[in-house]
Amino acid sequence: MDLSLILKRSELGALTTGDEFLLKSVSMNTMRLAREAKLKFDPQILVNQDDEAADRLFQAGRQLLLETGLYCTSSRRVIRFSERELDERLKCLPGQVTVGQGKELHTVRHRGVEDSAFPTIFGGPFNCDTDEATFVKFNEAYAREPLIDILFFPGYLKELDGILIRPGSGLSTRAAILYGRYAREAVMRAGRPDMPIAGHAVMALNEIACSSEEWGLRSTDPRAMVLISELQVDDVTLTRLVYYKSIGAPIYMSFTPLIGGYGGGPEGTAITAVASVIASTLLGGDFVHIGPQHIKLRVQTNQHSLWLSSIVNQAIARNSQMIITTSHTTAGRPGSLQFALEFSALAIASVISGSNQSGPRPAEPLGNNQNSPLMCRLFAEVGRATTRIDRAKANEIVLALYQEYKDHLDLATSPRGKTFNELYDLNTLEPSEEHYATYQEARAKLLALGLPLD
Amino acid sequence: MSNESEIFQKLAQSIWDFDPDAAAAAAKEALAAGIAPARAVEEGFSPAIRELGDKFDRMEVFLPELVMAAGAMKAGVNVFEEAMKKAGGSLANKGVVVLGTVEGDIHDIGKTIVGAMLSSAGYKVVDLGVEISVPRFLEAADEAKADIIAASALLSTTMLRQKDLVEFLTSRGKKEKYIVIVGGAPVTQEWADKIGADAYARDAQQAIKVLDGLMATRRA
Ligand code: B12
Repeated sequence: MDLSLILKRSELGALTTGDEFLLKSVSMNTMRLAREAKLKFDPQILVNQDDEAADRLFQAGRQLLLETGLYCTSSRRVIRFSERELDERLKCLPGQVTVGQGKELHTVRHRGVEDSAFPTIFGGPFNCDTDEATFVKFNEAYAREPLIDILFFPGYLKELDGILIRPGSGLSTRAAILYGRYAREAVMRAGRPDMPIAGHAVMALNEIACSSEEWGLRSTDPRAMVLISELQVDDVTLTRLVYYKSIGAPIYMSFTPLIGGYGGGPEGTAITAVASVIASTLLGGDFVHIGPQHIKLRVQTNQHSLWLSSIVNQAIARNSQMIITTSHTTAGRPGSLQFALEFSALAIASVISGSNQSGPRPAEPLGNNQNSPLMCRLFAEVGRATTRIDRAKANEIVLALYQEYKDHLDLATSPRGKTFNELYDLNTLEPSEEHYATYQEARAKLLALGLPLD
Repeated sequence: MSNESEIFQKLAQSIWDFDPDAAAAAAKEALAAGIAPARAVEEGFSPAIRELGDKFDRMEVFLPELVMAAGAMKAGVNVFEEAMKKAGGSLANKGVVVLGTVEGDIHDIGKTIVGAMLSSAGYKVVDLGVEISVPRFLEAADEAKADIIAASALLSTTMLRQKDLVEFLTSRGKKEKYIVIVGGAPVTQEWADKIGADAYARDAQQAIKVLDGLMATRRA
């Protein structure tokens, strides 16, 4: 589907208000479709085992998108899609997209349910707050991890020159440029100068300023574009999209279905999630990232998010060639065992269901640089091991992991963890003995539960 | 007085049905039956909306129900307000809140929940929406004769606009006139203290508690 058609509809579509769109269109239609699709969250089955339920979910999501379209909050107009446009686009998807250059050329693939192919690992700081002094080393340590295929969201510079950055300001454009420069510098120092960098400088529109074939993010690097939950876009998101498409960059679409939000409970939100994945693809997304968020708990490893991620990924995997990845945000913070147990549960539930992997990150970091490359190594190892088990075993392990941390999901009291600066030796870029011991403890636990780690 | 309890029932049912027309009709019926508006709100609308708020807390109902119920209640309360105005009075509320998400920030879900819960707790809420500039907050507060300005920020970068808000109010000599409450995921009590905001709340329930306290001392 041509982008110009979408831009045209965002100017000429039917006028409505945001409230009308969300309440009358999205919520009402979703509630009805959820009843019709007969989906039911079951706390004992966090990894979906029912193919027919996944297929019904796909049809419900497709139907929702046809009925509601996308809302452009800036022009207040609805962008609608016809059945034919939708089906034609889904029919001709390539099922794979290549990113990066040279030795670092990497193909991201559509995966099936219980697929034996390894997932692609989008691993990195995942836009946690980062200070300028640590930025390059932090990312270099990630790029040194061989299991990470694509450096993921190099970090959120919130302060520069001693001043907090106002989005859209000149200072924020300077920060976006530095983001591109520092990220490239980091992969070069790690000996992977052509490593693909999934970029999202988080500075509103001017994040496009981090683009440069010479020193920044290249046209072979995936660039992020976020849908506003649920099923909305605005001028900023569309502008980024137009620009990234014009330079030929692979488009990393992402969105956050909010369980308890306008889609209702986990069943309804699963439908809005499928609709959003299809919408993202119609907008030209090459891969689509789902962040299964929860309105009360604000983390993605609670039982509703685990189930939603599993069934939504299966619905997409079974019924299309769309390429999906799942983001992982946790209550426990890096440095704690809980961090590892949480992201492992979500990684297993998602990867077995056909997803690639993005993350992990604490949902609420407590300071700058609160993430860990070593934990990302474990994240990748868990994803690989998941390709050797089936859904029944996956469910068993996910339930056991969830039992361990379920009472500690409150962000106010969840483990406070440590920062990269505390977990790593900044001279050698090696993890501390203590941190390495946590990694081994988590591995032992996962092996004991029957996850066949290398 | 079975008629009265029937009317209270209708008022409550309109909330359960998320039906603004039914809420307005029931409110008119209450007026015609000579029920004092404050009582109609307290005994008709409030129990229903409180129960819904509790259900939302337990994740038994979700955002759409909460927003639609608050919308229905608003339609009913409008009828009472009109009637009181005609009679030269006004409908008692716990306070008038001007609420919005700060400039540069489009996160509106938390703010919408806070608005819905505050109005169900008896506050009159003017929801300005998202991307609200500092001067606009003040303009709207003056216009609505507000007691409270509530500013939401979800990004660590847009939290700065909450600081600007307090600074701006101070520079206009309006700081004492309004209670400023701030919130949003990255916002903390320490931040609120640092910028000189009057209050902070972690969620909507706490916001009600904190504001109830501050309004009580203000009105005393
Ligand atoms: C959904 C979401 C979005 C949606 C918003 C959709 C919408 N219509 O609102 C979309 C996709 C558009 C979005 C965009 C962005 N987002 Co966002 N988003 C979130 C997410 C996942 C959930 C927010 C939410 O709605 N939570 C549910 C509600 C109920 O909770 P809440 O908002 O916290 O509100 C409660 C309390 O805070 C409090 N409260 C809230 N407001 C107020 C006000 C007052 C007065 C009071 C008393 C209390 C109060 O009461 C509420 C009810 O309990 C958070 C993650 C998180 N953990 O919070 C990230 C998050 C806020 N987003 C983030 C980012 C970075 C962005 C983007 C910059 C990403 C990008 N590069 O495009 C953009 C910013 C766009 C912009 N200019 O604003 C970061 C912020 C990081 C930081 N520290 O600054 C977060 C924390 C995610 C993360 N960890 O990286 N996002």
